[in-house]
This record gives sequence, C-alpha cells and structure tokens, in this order.
Amino acid sequence: MTERIEKLCELTLSGKMFVNPIKTKFDVNDSSLSKIDMETKRLCEYILNQEPMLTPYSSMTGMFNFDGSVVGDAFQRSGHAGTAEALKKYYLNKIENLSTMEWQHATADYERVLDIGISGIINEIDKSLKCHSLPEEIEFLTGIKMVACTLIQWAEKCSKAALELSKKVYDDNYKQNLLKLSSALLNVPKNPPSSFYEAVLCIYVCFSANPDSVGTLDRYLSPFYFKDIKNGVLTHDEAKEYLQELYLMLQATTHIDSPHFTRGGQSHFCIGGYLSNGENAFNELSELIVEALIDLPTYIPQITLRWTKSTPRSVLRFMMDSERRDPHKRIAFTNDEKRIKCYTEICKIPYERAVKYTTVGCNEPAFLGAIAGSNSKGNLLRSIETLFHKHGDEICNFDGFDELYNFYEKILFLDLQKILDYDDQYNLLRAKDINYISSLFMCDCVENAKSVTQGGGNTAIASPMLIGIVNVIDSLTVVKELVYDKKLFSMSDLVSALKSNWVGYDDLRTLILKKCSFFGNDADVSNEVGNRLYNSFYNYLYGKRNIFGYQWLIGDLAGYNEHYKWFGEDTKATPDGRYDGDLMKFGLGQNEGKDKEGLTALLNSVCKLDKTGIGCGSTVTNISIDKKMVEDNEQFEKLVDVFETYFKNGGVHFQLTYVSKEDLINAQKCPNDYKRIRVRVSGFSDYFVNLNDHIQNDIIKRTDYKN
Amino acid sequence: MKATIFDIQRNSFVDGPGIRTTVFFKGCNLKCAWCHNPESQNTKSELMVYSNKCIQCGKCTEKCPYNLKNCDLCGKCALFCLQEARMICGKNYTVDEVVSEVLKDKAYYEGSGGGVTLSGGECMLQIDFATELLKECKKNNIHTAIDTAGNVPFEYFMRVLPYTDLFLYDIKCFDKSLHKKYTGVSNELILGNLKRLLSLKSNIWIRIPIIPSVNDNAGELLKIKDFIYKNGEVEKIELLPYHKIGEHKYEALGMELHSFDLLSKERLLELQNIFNI
Repeated sequence: MTERIEKLCELTLSGKMFVNPIKTKFDVNDSSLSKIDMETKRLCEYILNQEPMLTPYSSMTGMFNFDGSVVGDAFQRSGHAGTAEALKKYYLNKIENLSTMEWQHATADYERVLDIGISGIINEIDKSLKCHSLPEEIEFLTGIKMVACTLIQWAEKCSKAALELSKKVYDDNYKQNLLKLSSALLNVPKNPPSSFYEAVLCIYVCFSANPDSVGTLDRYLSPFYFKDIKNGVLTHDEAKEYLQELYLMLQATTHIDSPHFTRGGQSHFCIGGYLSNGENAFNELSELIVEALIDLPTYIPQITLRWTKSTPRSVLRFMMDSERRDPHKRIAFTNDEKRIKCYTEICKIPYERAVKYTTVGCNEPAFLGAIAGSNSKGNLLRSIETLFHKHGDEICNFDGFDELYNFYEKILFLDLQKILDYDDQYNLLRAKDINYISSLFMCDCVENAKSVTQGGGNTAIASPMLIGIVNVIDSLTVVKELVYDKKLFSMSDLVSALKSNWVGYDDLRTLILKKCSFFGNDADVSNEVGNRLYNSFYNYLYGKRNIFGYQWLIGDLAGYNEHYKWFGEDTKATPDGRYDGDLMKFGLGQNEGKDKEGLTALLNSVCKLDKTGIGCGSTVTNISIDKKMVEDNEQFEKLVDVFETYFKNGGVHFQLTYVSKEDLINAQKCPNDYKRIRVRVSGFSDYFVNLNDHIQNDIIKRTDYKN
Repeated sequence: MKATIFDIQRNSFVDGPGIRTTVFFKGCNLKCAWCHNPESQNTKSELMVYSNKCIQCGKCTEKCPYNLKNCDLCGKCALFCLQEARMICGKNYTVDEVVSEVLKDKAYYEGSGGGVTLSGGECMLQIDFATELLKECKKNNIHTAIDTAGNVPFEYFMRVLPYTDLFLYDIKCFDKSLHKKYTGVSNELILGNLKRLLSLKSNIWIRIPIIPSVNDNAGELLKIKDFIYKNGEVEKIELLPYHKIGEHKYEALGMELHSFDLLSKERLLELQNIFNI
C-alpha cells in the first residue's frame, strides 16, 4: 500500500471521509410547481449546493450524500415518501407472522455511462422525449434531463474546487494530483473517459446517484485498463491505487456510527463469469481488483467470484487463497452455470443481459443497471405449523406420505401466494415515489420514461427470501422416514407431541433427533423431500410475475436482520425437533449440527436440492471450517478441489468462515480477548463479538468440519 | 458376507491422495501404546460410555432391559441418550452397503485424485470382505488405498494387490524389542512383507507415527530410511506426530491409557529433514 493510500485509509477508518450533507434552502415559491418539476428542481439545487471533499491525499472527488430534504437515490431512498410509508408499516414488522419488508439493492449501469457519458444519456433522453407523449412521461424525462445536466455542473464545480486548491498548495505531488483531477472532471462523467483513471473517477462521481453495488467492475473497466497498459501510460501499481481509492470511497459512504460500517454487505460486486460472447470475463484486471482490496484493512466492499465451467482451477484457487488471507472476510463465490440457465430459461431474460448479473447486498442477484425486484422475507415454516397445529386431526387419517404431501402443498401454495401478495403490496407503496437520480443510470428507465421504483427497468427478478426452508425439509423428512417408512411412531403421537410443545414427549423428540436423516447428510430421503419441495416452488412460481412483470424466484437468506428469530418466536413446535419459539434456519449451509456426515455430504445435499433452478434468487450457503484445514497447504489444496467439484455438481453459492468452535465459545466468555475474529453471518460478515447472542449461538451451532 | 466396521468417514483429507472416504474396520492384531483409535482394537462391537458427557438423567437405566447390569448391545441406552454419552461402536455392513456409501462422493474423488481408503484397525484381518470391497470399487473406477500395519500373511497382500492402487504402510519402530514392547508384536513379519511388497514395485506411502521417547530419534528413523531405500522405492514418506485426540476414548472403553509427551513443531521438522521431506 502506498503512503497516500495509507493516509486515505486512516481517514476512512476514522470516519473522516464521510461527506456530510450541506443543508439547502429551497425557494418557497416552487411549491406551486408540479410534483415532478418541484422535486427535480430541488434535487438539482441540493446537488449544486454540496461541497466536494478534497484531502491532501485524494486524487478523486465528487461524492455527496443526501439528507432527506430531497428525493435522493434509490438505495437509501431518503426523501421517498412512499417508501417511508411502507417502512413504517412493514419494515421489521411481521405481517401475520408470514412476511416482512426489506431493503432493495441495485447496481447502476456503469457500462453505459463509461460508453457514452452523461451527455450521451442526455441524447438518449432527447430521443425518448420524441417517442413519448403522456404528460407524466414528458415531465419525468424533462426532470431527469435536468438532473443529468446538474451532475455535469457538479463535476465542473468539483473541477473548479480542485483547481482553486491547487493554487494554494506547495507540495508538488499534491498540486499535480489536483491539476490532474481538475482537468479530468471537465471530461467525466460528461463524456466517455479517455483513460483508466478517468474511468474510475467517472464511477466515483456517479456513485452518489446509486450508492450501492458497482456491478461487474472488471468487465467494464477492462477496455480502459488494457488500452492504457498497452500504451504505457498506466502501470499496474497506479491502477491498483486508483481502485483502492475507489474502494475507500465505497467504505466511506457508510457513516462510521452505523452498525453497517463494519459489515461487508453494502457495495458488494462481482468479478469473472460469462461474457455475452460466451468467454470468461476473469482476467488480469480481475486479479488486480482482488489484490487491491485484500491490501486494505476495510470492511466494504465485498467481492464475489462468478465461477463458470471454463474458470481454471488456478483462478478458483487464487480467490480461495485470497479469501483465506483476508481477515475481513470480503470474498464469496457463486456459480454462473446454474444462475444463467435460471435467468434465461425461467425468467426469460435475454442472454446478453443475463450474463451481466451481479450479486449485491447479502447475495441478492441484480443485473447491471437494475434493481433487485423484491426483497421481502417470508416465513415458510408457518405452512408446517398450519399443517400440524390446525389440521392435526385430519392428517392422522392419511394413508401415506404422498397424501400428506399433496395436502401440505395446498397450504404451502396459499402461504406462498400471500407472501407474493405482500411483496407486491410493498412495491406498490414504493411505486408512489418517482426516483430521478438513480433512474438516470438504470437500464430502460430513460427509454420507458419510467422511474426505477415504478418498474422502469425491463430486467429484474423478484425473489422473496423464505426463512425456514431447511426446517420444512427436515419436518417433512421426519414424517416420511420415521412415521411412514420406518413406522417408529404414529402420526397421532407426533401431532400430540407438537401440540404439547414436546412436554411429556422427550423420548419421541430424542428419537427424532437421533434417527432422522436430516438435510445435509446426503441421505436419499431428505434429498428427495427437498427435491419435492423445490419442484412445488417451481410448479407454483414458473410463469408468475410480480406487479412490475419480474419473474418470481425464491431465495433463502436473511439480511442484516434476525427474521429467523422473529418468525421463530411466534411459530409453534415443528416436527424437526424445534420447540415453540425457537429460532428457524436460514440459508442452505450447515444444519445446526444435524449434518453429521461431513462437508461433502452437506454439499451434495445442497447440490441435489433444486433441479429446477427456481432457487437461484437470493441464496446463501455458509460453511464453517476449522481454521487448521486452511493453515495446512496440502489440506487447503483439497479444499479447493472440494469446492470446484461442488460447483461442477451444481452448487449455486458458498462463503466460508474459518474458526474453531472453542475460539467462538471463548469469545462469548471473554469478548475482549477475541475482538478480531470475523465470521460470515448471512450474506455479510462482521466481528463475532459485535453480533448479538442469538446470532453468536447460531454460528457456534453450525458444525465445523475437521479432519 | 459382512464386516464389522466402526466408521465410514467421508471427506477425509488425510488418508491418501485427494479427497477420500475412509472405511474403518474393527479389529487389530497390534496393540500400540499410543493408538488413537482404541475402539478399533477389539474385533467385536462394543459399548462406549463417555462419563464426562453424562448428565445423570437416568434415561439409559430406564431404557435398558437389564437395568444396565448386563449388556447385549441392543443400543437402546445409546439411542435415547441425547448427550451422546453412550454409543455402540461397530456395525455390520455388507459390501453393497459400503460401496453405496463410497459412491456418494465419486465426483469429489474425480475432482481431486481421491478415492477410498480401507483402514482400521487392521482392515486385512477381514481379508475376504476387504478383497470384495476393493474389487467392487475398482469396477466403479474408484482409486483404492489400503492403510495397513502389515502384520498379516503376505498371501493377503497378494489377494488385494490386483485391486489396490496404493498402500499406506505403517512402520512403528525398526528395533524389534522396541516394537514388541510398544505394540505387543515383533516387526519381523511387517518388515518382511514390506520388503516383498517393495520388490513388486507397488505404490507405497510409508507412514511413521512419531512418538516422543519411543522412536523420535535419528537412530531409529535412519534405520527405517536405510531399510526402505535398500529394498526399493516409495512414493512418499509421512511422519505422523503423536497426538492426544483419542485419549478420551480409553475411558469410554474402560481401557488403560498410556500417555506420551507431544512433539514440538521444531523437532518434527528436524526429523522430517532425515527423509528430506
């Protein structure tokens, strides 16, 4: 790390790089304007009233934050009245113990702004204006054109500030940096960049318009990188510095007082994966992008490798090696083969767009220039609760598992439909908002003359995240294996046990925990039950679309919030041995110690679960591994082989935590001695001691595989 | 045909090349003082009781038909012990049952150059079963390895040889009396078998457990090294430092524990230098 980056890093990690919003006084007479005219006018005034941050170590500037006084970006959604109403009603608020609303991630179309600049986007707006005639469409397009022009003026303001400052400084390096910055800001983001430096600066400036994922960084920066390297005007080290400066800005965007400052879920992006010509995107720049991150002792951003059949083992090894060296746990892995098949075949997204997906936030898939179209959380285990606690008498008369499953499927579909309906309801409220600044950088919003919050983008998927999928599989497996196949006890015994919350049925519960072939053991019975459940998801969801026309898929992760605890609190005892009120399981990783056959068995179960692809929404597979396994190089090589095989077998995602169970238990007792242990939680990572007791216990319960 | 097996461990990273499934056969004709799998020594199934896990809930007594005064290994006490304080060690398997377990990770063997390892105990004491199992694995194109202490008639090696890709061959001590003292048997047959196996140019990894105060000295190891190189070539030599991971099992089996000091990392490196590893 260079001295300049070190200094910037110090400032960032002490919270000093956060750009404080400057309060803006608006013209009170503008309230007579139409809603769109007033909102865009104020937005423009606000942007031009902000001040660029310039430190003696910066070679870039242009970031700003919103304060809620205007309609801000589509990620933070400050100043979005409809979203505020939806948040008040539904965020972290269980509806029927079935659904809660969550945040929506997105990534701007940086490829387009690098290709044509904001002036090119303005040309596109002008073209679109000729194709639309509805007043609200014209107003929207005129409004975002004004915002586009303002962003160019903002860059000019930043340029001027850099120039003025350059006149006052004596340090030559500092002066040269400022002059270079000032000159570059007169070109970008207005025009397409002329160099790698300008390309990174362009992203830096435009990031405020959508302060979330930077998308598929390696592929859209590659043309600039290779051209400059070839022409001898850029060195590997210089490119690394520019990337690091960009990353530090991504970190600085989150305020230091926010609990998210030390979590990696924000500004998550992808490298590698298929290009539209079928080739693999991973190249020398992808590697540099990772190296640049690993050097920084920061928490944000987070990078996921998109693996394909053509990804060499050496690339997977490089990424896993970077991951094991990274104490901040910022690297994860996903599989293009299954995802792209899902996006093209189930979601009917054109291949050229499907290959531009990226995982954002805690692993929600979004496409370059698109939003994650859903993001609500659903309690899937409620369907099992209904089956046993409301229909207990009926199910005791069933002949076999098929009859039971068919009956269950009806309950499942009723709950699924409700989860989808609530999800639509959240989007409907959010669609009251018109977003201007993010829509400018989103695919199709200009052409469709529609805000991204109102379904302006053509490409997205809607993936509610279902909590408790593994609990459902395990509960149904108990019934199939122990009640019907092995006849170890009767259905009426099981129903009675659940109704009494296992009181008086300790032996039955013990029998279940000891004898059931739970998910994660690669047992035929739980694999088949899991398959059947995913086939049900597929049959119900295939062809169904949300209010904006995005195909429904399902996911299984929990975000920053403890939905698995909240839903669990009001979910009665279930056949998998859960007591009334116990936590539920999220994700497809280790099964709270119920998977006893080791890592390959768990991974096989995960691979065999979904043959349809309907589960390629927001999914997470957390694997906790004893740290000794990665400390030994020979064993580490085998671990790389394991995960390469896992992907070849159809696994969609994995992320790793290397700790010993003993360390975690000690960390609970003496947090001060174990401050540095960092673990994967859901799609994000955090210091173990920062997590609350519920999450800590959940992580400890995940089996750690040893050899 | 059935064999008594006490564990089938998938996802093994340490019993040969690549990712492997290791089948642990019950029964051994050596009684190594440092044995970390003491449950492997007895040929028959047995009950293990971990008193440190027991919370005195009384469930085992309640479920036992004999009030814990007799044991016919019915397993009811273990089944209802939620603390896992009681377990039946050893189960009879058919060849097909083992093969179906082994096949589950075939993709991982192919991806890593791994396969199946027959271990124990001494897997070759159940030679008929071991031979059949290896034959079936080869039919399924699975790499096969045998982890052996070598104290069996050489004829057994000849039977498994056509179906075995690799031998993991243990040498505990070179000195005969030392070997007898710490394992209960002489090493003449073991070294003789190794010599013959080397002459057949089989693929062999030599594995030497390094036990402080027993064989952690250059004299012993140099003699082993000379013996190996005088008689042929091996693919690899592994020194396995003594560890205490299996100590708690002695109490669970009611067996007497012999404890040794742990080997330092530095000492292990020095000894590895003898073999240039």
